[in-house]
Amino acid sequence: MTRHHPESLTLMEFSAGNLSEPHALCIRLHLDECSLCRSRVDTLDSLGAVMMERQPKVSVSESMFESILAKIDSSPSPQHTAKTSPRISVLQKLLGDDVNNLPWKRQLGDVSVLDITEKFPDQNEQVVLQKLVSGGKAPAHTHRGNETTIVLQGAFADQKGVFNQWDFVVLTDQDEHKPVAVGGEDCITLSVLSAPVKLTGIFTRMLNPFIR
Amino acid sequence: MTTLEQKPTRGEGRKDPWSQLLVKVGKSQDRQAYHALFEHFAPQLKYYAMANGMASHAEELVQEVFVSIWRRACLYDWQKAAASTWIFTIARNQRIDMLRKMRRTSAEMQVETEDLWQIPGEDENEPVTSLHRLMSERRVRESLRHLPEEQITVIAKVYMEQKSHQMVANELNIPLGTVKSRVRLALNKLKVILQDQNV
Repeated sequence: MTRHHPESLTLMEFSAGNLSEPHALCIRLHLDECSLCRSRVDTLDSLGAVMMERQPKVSVSESMFESILAKIDSSPSPQHTAKTSPRISVLQKLLGDDVNNLPWKRQLGDVSVLDITEKFPDQNEQVVLQKLVSGGKAPAHTHRGNETTIVLQGAFADQKGVFNQWDFVVLTDQDEHKPVAVGGEDCITLSVLSAPVKLTGIFTRMLNPFIR
Repeated sequence: MTTLEQKPTRGEGRKDPWSQLLVKVGKSQDRQAYHALFEHFAPQLKYYAMANGMASHAEELVQEVFVSIWRRACLYDWQKAAASTWIFTIARNQRIDMLRKMRRTSAEMQVETEDLWQIPGEDENEPVTSLHRLMSERRVRESLRHLPEEQITVIAKVYMEQKSHQMVANELNIPLGTVKSRVRLALNKLKVILQDQNV
């Protein structure tokens, strides 16, 4: 049962389709495990439908319906094109393996990272996985820009509380924290960093929420 | 007309006319029903495409959405979403998809739009929370009637014009905080805001 949820305004931007893919991924992973937020998004999707209905209407060209019919007649019947295969988790699709088996790069002490930004081409956000070994501590640090994080495994604690699996947290440059991995498992998180990345270089700029 | 109305359930009365039509398309490929949906939704969808900067692709978007409606109608479950909500999410995803494809340079897309943005009722195995969902749509419509226009304007820009809260603030020349508080007031009425959320 997750306790830290995305803000309503963020869910609205998700429902409107305005979030970048990495941010949408964080929301998706949370939604898949949080029925409370799923029902919030249901309401927001309905809000989108009602907003669309309230707007002006623009007539479409005369022939459009005909060309749509031509299009559906030239393709297989609906039952055959419908998606019926069971869903593979989006994380597995993205990473191709269990999060524990990835080519982690050891950084400082208890912290390992894996930059997966390249899986999201044409984005200007950095996307990273981070691992803090069970019981491990990350040095105190602050953040630059906004960083959205979702806990994929285990849990970490800092002065703001305990963040368990599928908890969602956004940190700003006002937040300084000193996370500790709690519980028996390594704590693995996915973070999206919205600030421009290049300036400080990969080694000086290490990653949130554990290290920077 | 078709067999699907045979078994009235407790929630049957809640099914709106568009959802009934969509069910017919799904169950029996009813082209008349499909055409009625087209007449009603296509002009809305075209405005949607134009409002969010896809003017030159507006008709293409409407077409793609309708082809997709036809193909997926068999997956539509009126107990999980009203037709208008279902169609809105298809349009939203189609727009995201088209923009992704236009932007795409060389790299392959690893994650598909629908891995991230789902269509309500598909790929879901949860116990039916249908009455809750349908009420949510009725409640949204009802609540909007009582919202001040300034709140609706802000929300419309987010949904229809794909503007961030910051962009809305710039355009209306009001502080970002004002935009956010208008949205929060509205979402509070819609009960989307969590009681204990410290925002």
